[in-house]
Amino acid sequence: MSELRFDDVTVRFGAGRTATTAVDGVSLTIPDGEVVGLVGESGSGKSTLARAAVGLAPITSGRILLDGAPIAPRRGYRPLQMVFQDPYSSLDPRMSIGDSIAEIIPRGLSRAARRDEVARLLELVHLDPTHARAYPGHLSGGMRQRVALARALAGRPEVLVADEITSALDVSIQGSVLNLVRELQAELGLSMLFISHNLAVVRYVASRVAVMYRGRIVEEGPTLQILEDPQHEYTRNLLAAIPGRAKTPTLI
Amino acid sequence: MNILTRILRTPLGIAAVVMLTLVVATAIFAPILWGEEAAAVDTDNMLAGPSLEHPIGTDQLGRDLLLRVLVATRLSVTLAVLATLVAVSAGLILGVAPLLLGRHIGRGVTWLVGVAVAFPGLLLALSFAVIFGSGWLGAVLAIGLAGAPSFARLCQTLIAGVASRDFVAAARIGGVGRFRVLTRHVLPNIGEPLIVNATIGAGGALLAFAGLSFIGLGVQPPDYDWGRLMMEGLLGIYVNPLAALAPGMAVVIAGLSFNLVGEAAARSLGIQVGGFTSKVRKAASKPVTAPAAVVAADAADNDDVVLDVRDLRVSFPGPAGDVRPVRGVSFSVRRGEAVGIVGESGSGKSVTALSIAQLVESPGVVEAKALSFLGEDLVHGDTARHRKLLGTSLAMVFQDPMTSFNPTKRMGAQLAEVATEHQGLSRKEALARAIDRLDAVRITDPAQRAKQYPHEFSGGMRQRAMIGMGLMGAPALIIADEPTTALDVTVQQQVLDLLEAIRERDDVALLLISHDVSVVAEVCDRVLVMYAGRIVEDLPAADLATAAKHPYTRALLAAVPDMDTHLHLPLATIAGRPVDPAQLPEGCAYAARCPLADARCRAVDPHLATDEDGDRVACWRAGEPMPLGMPQVRTGVETNETEGVLV
Repeated sequence: MSELRFDDVTVRFGAGRTATTAVDGVSLTIPDGEVVGLVGESGSGKSTLARAAVGLAPITSGRILLDGAPIAPRRGYRPLQMVFQDPYSSLDPRMSIGDSIAEIIPRGLSRAARRDEVARLLELVHLDPTHARAYPGHLSGGMRQRVALARALAGRPEVLVADEITSALDVSIQGSVLNLVRELQAELGLSMLFISHNLAVVRYVASRVAVMYRGRIVEEGPTLQILEDPQHEYTRNLLAAIPGRAKTPTLI
Repeated sequence: MNILTRILRTPLGIAAVVMLTLVVATAIFAPILWGEEAAAVDTDNMLAGPSLEHPIGTDQLGRDLLLRVLVATRLSVTLAVLATLVAVSAGLILGVAPLLLGRHIGRGVTWLVGVAVAFPGLLLALSFAVIFGSGWLGAVLAIGLAGAPSFARLCQTLIAGVASRDFVAAARIGGVGRFRVLTRHVLPNIGEPLIVNATIGAGGALLAFAGLSFIGLGVQPPDYDWGRLMMEGLLGIYVNPLAALAPGMAVVIAGLSFNLVGEAAARSLGIQVGGFTSKVRKAASKPVTAPAAVVAADAADNDDVVLDVRDLRVSFPGPAGDVRPVRGVSFSVRRGEAVGIVGESGSGKSVTALSIAQLVESPGVVEAKALSFLGEDLVHGDTARHRKLLGTSLAMVFQDPMTSFNPTKRMGAQLAEVATEHQGLSRKEALARAIDRLDAVRITDPAQRAKQYPHEFSGGMRQRAMIGMGLMGAPALIIADEPTTALDVTVQQQVLDLLEAIRERDDVALLLISHDVSVVAEVCDRVLVMYAGRIVEDLPAADLATAAKHPYTRALLAAVPDMDTHLHLPLATIAGRPVDPAQLPEGCAYAARCPLADARCRAVDPHLATDEDGDRVACWRAGEPMPLGMPQVRTGVETNETEGVLV
């Protein structure tokens, strides 16, 4: 489907001496149909990079390319969509989930076609289509995150950006959302930028991983290779800090 | 209608609604019933005092003043409401401008509003009244525009709050235009607080209008409102004081009814307004109460036990009966022992910790057969002594270290406060100890750091300072509630290492609460698994991966990927959702989600049974193999290939 490429992207906030560089000359490619995990500590710039990709943060310099061309918001077609960390804040409490999803569906469809599309999307994320009339307040955290996924898919994206989508969820629900992400990715062939601070989660979902530290990508490569043979000091620290690592040092 | 029923639930709300209904009814019906009579000139009865015929007298033309006050309700209230509408509309336009016009023009509008807010409202109204000329229209515009800046500021603040939420970002990414974002997402979410504040604003407008009419800038004869009547009555105040007081009282009653309805609505919706009634209520903290229960004596026998909890129950009153987040929890912690509590959100793990530290606030009720800390009975007896004991021997570490500190005080002073409060040290000694403790939690250059404010510390440093604060005394127990959840992985490890070091050095016991099984497994000796307010399993941390018996514990372990999770199999999931503490089932609370559950599980709640090793589990089918396709008991690293899920 599509390849997303960050080409020497810099994002700077503020001006003059107080300016901070959140993303510092990042070049990263998300190959067609692959999941790239992006790990790093808070403040490393990984969320800013994601927001820059979907146009929420203005980039100071560099380019973000989709299949080699700059991303232009074409009418009724959104090539990039994003799923946020907190499903309690990413859905409008005053809007039924069906309306929230329908809002993102490209214009030009009849009312009935829209309703069918909402039902199809809800089924895709394993929710009962009758939930379309429910409000977010009536749904559990895991169900809300499924709705957020369905809404992102409503824009027919070629690349999906997922920013810490399981870290606000209860442990018992995380697994089912991760299963869903893997399933959707395989089914739809999405390219995906998957941001997480949890290396075990990234290991499970992503085929490639990029490690971000202080606004720069310090290491990037196939997931298992990076986890087994980290080259950068920070990656090694990150791996050593995983609870229980001392007791079970082996990797599959 | 939902909001009305919520307002009517309180006595204040009922009184306010009744008052406003009366005012509105008078405004509608008084001119119809008495309009002509109030305008009837009676030259025989000019400037008469109160009598049976004219309860508050007559004016210069002999017109009955009581009727005139009642009839004037319509004009006074209508004009006040009109002025409020002008204020809200102008405020809304200025308030949404930054959202619609983009960052640069928006900043200019915000700046303008800021200047206008700083300008005194009454002065603004007076100058507008002069510009627009006397008469009711001029006065409506003057009062409306004078009230606009504060509504504009309110709108801007509310809109900024909504606009920063992720659902607005999601709509923008999805190609929804600014105007649609405003009408579909922003306005519906700020409507309630805006209407509530407008209602309160109407009370103020009423008062302002009476003021303008009183000085002759508002309503002109032959029309009359309350302000006009007061002005006319003032001339004869020594002859007939009621002529001026009655319209004044009408202003107060009508203004109060608007304000109180607004306040009641705000309170039932949980909105903050700067009204006077909101200051009256004061949080009353109720001491922990206990039923007449016998304190278990055998716990105190054992010197080794730091904390002994027997049958702890916590309940909060809810709309549909009491909610019981903790339903009979018993455990003990020995000196130097690290005990972990794991469970999902809502399992009662944090409430358990808070009730041990006596931090459950009213209206929550804590009950226990025994709750003893260092042999001291915390259920009964002297609260001042308990406070001192808890202040010096118990350390609490919370999830978010930013909210645990006062942002306006220096770190050193905040730590020192503990010692001046509980240990009676002088300020200087206390500060010296604070610096020593910051050093003990490995904060570099502690003397310099003690002079800094909380925001100058990084998250990990704040969490270490929080632990340092707990070490100001000589704690026997540290309760840490999700201490590393808000921290980065690498910083998490430092904090866990620090807790470990403190525990080894001073033989301090640790009660670690976490949703992360891997953290608990690494740090703790023993793990308590909680579900729906009860302990469902109590086992050594080392056995967690290999010998967990409760189906919930096993599912919890399999649901989270770790560095050994099989990559080609889906993760295990727990069907269904956690039970609602307000609606607990008859039998085992986990039965609805449990693949092993049978008729007995659904009918009878299993009790926490102790086996020969001292491990406890509350399950009728503990340790039985899961049906095919369900998470199995983990069997350790040697057999990695078979763990996870069997599909």
